[in-house]
Amino acid sequence: MTGILTISGLHAGYGAGDILKGIDAALAEGQIVTVIGPNGSGKSTLIKTLAGLLPARQGDIVLAGTRVNDMSAPQRVRSGMSYVPQEYNVFRNLTVLENLQIAREFMSGGRASRGGKVIDDELLALFPELPGKFRALAGNLSGGQRQMLAFACALTVQPKVLMLDEPSAGLSPKYMADIFATVKQVNARGVSIFMIEQNATEALRISNTCIVMANGRVRLNAPADQVLGMQDLHSLYLGDAREELPLAAAS
Amino acid sequence: MLQTAFNGFVTGIIVTLPALAITLLFGVLKFPNFAVGAMMTLAAYMVFALNVQLGWPLVVATVVAAIAFGGFLIVVDYLTFRPLRERGSITLMVASLGLGFVLENIARLAYGNTARSFAIELARPFRFFDIRMNREQMIIIGVSTLAMLAMYVLLTRMPIGRAMRAVADNPALALVRGIESPRIIRWTWFIAGMLLAVGGVLIGMDRALEPPMGSSYLIAVFAAAILGGLGSPLGAFVGALVIGMVSELSTLVIPPNYRIGIPLCVIALILIFRPQGLFGQPYIRK
Repeated sequence: MTGILTISGLHAGYGAGDILKGIDAALAEGQIVTVIGPNGSGKSTLIKTLAGLLPARQGDIVLAGTRVNDMSAPQRVRSGMSYVPQEYNVFRNLTVLENLQIAREFMSGGRASRGGKVIDDELLALFPELPGKFRALAGNLSGGQRQMLAFACALTVQPKVLMLDEPSAGLSPKYMADIFATVKQVNARGVSIFMIEQNATEALRISNTCIVMANGRVRLNAPADQVLGMQDLHSLYLGDAREELPLAAAS
Repeated sequence: MLQTAFNGFVTGIIVTLPALAITLLFGVLKFPNFAVGAMMTLAAYMVFALNVQLGWPLVVATVVAAIAFGGFLIVVDYLTFRPLRERGSITLMVASLGLGFVLENIARLAYGNTARSFAIELARPFRFFDIRMNREQMIIIGVSTLAMLAMYVLLTRMPIGRAMRAVADNPALALVRGIESPRIIRWTWFIAGMLLAVGGVLIGMDRALEPPMGSSYLIAVFAAAILGGLGSPLGAFVGALVIGMVSELSTLVIPPNYRIGIPLCVIALILIFRPQGLFGQPYIRK
């Protein structure tokens, strides 16, 4: 498989053992890939390894033809991989405006021109709640607003790939719908998206491809609508990780 | 009363610069640096060398020494703290205690225990209403205020200052926002070095130059930074003024010898009732 982001034979982990035991996956340009799986399956480890927060022990991570394994997290950001972490995704003691300024100043590696607007109007239109809050401390925003700010920061540099770690975690149902709608809009602007989610049904509705992980391996890699139609979707991501999934061969 | 309050204000404002240095270093590096006292001492002696031995004007000597000392601390960090960075804050704190002994004794080895002073002319104190103030005190207030304003501009208006606050706030997020932490760490030491050099000169002007001059302020400096909330620059400023005033005003009701106990009491009370300090954020362990 080829694409804007290709992962092959990826091993990573903390301490002695590997948590990721040979992940193969690909994100085609302009698409949305959603990774689901039970807790402890290695989803978060995977996205942290992609973002450069955890070193890959084996395998390759290739962004648009360039191997990024040896790049630091800031270098990966500057080469076009934006990452929105789960929960702690804004600088809480800084204002909304300062959060956006930092994204613009540091994520672009000096490409952004000085002066001018911190965030362009087109992008801002995706986040209608932000403009009135520029002077507010990011820590005082609601969970949903913080998530929107984190998205806006990650998008200020027009990334090739946007990586989202459980964007709907801890949000009210109203915001959850907003978040997925925003993800879809961002994708419509040409940004490829690699997302980890617990709310599988909602996430898969907007996705092209679904990857199911268990025990640090890919158990299923299939079109999202196909996975949505499966009767035993719940057992795929909430099910016992030790259980051998009957669908393992479907990829 | 008014005179005592004014003296307390001056004591407090001297403490603002090292308190700010501690709080910046703590924010970015996450350990309490107990070497700040000795760092001020060493920097003050560097200024002494340029000012008294080479005969440079005090202002020029201070500016040159502050820049040099900022660079010196980057080297010190590279040799002392950087190899221990992954070992946790207790190890770094103990290393800073050791570093403090070494730095203070470098000053002692070079200049002995004799008290010395900068080459500045003596000027007659003047009166403003009922308050007697001398020229050194005016310089201390003026320089500290300017340094604080400069720090405010740096931290809120300049990319490097914002990045320092971002790293202090959330180091992992800072990485994925493109901030190279080694570069920010170097800047933080450089800026802390400049603050400590200026702080050392002000202490030397207020009292005299002697090897324990910096470390004698250590408790007050930490009390100020903790009271304000470690990691909060605004807190360091307010905390320093409160500590200075409270210690000085306490002499109206308790014997002056016990004044040194006041910052310790403040630390104890803060840790019991509001461990995050006045402006600090509650510490969240992820």
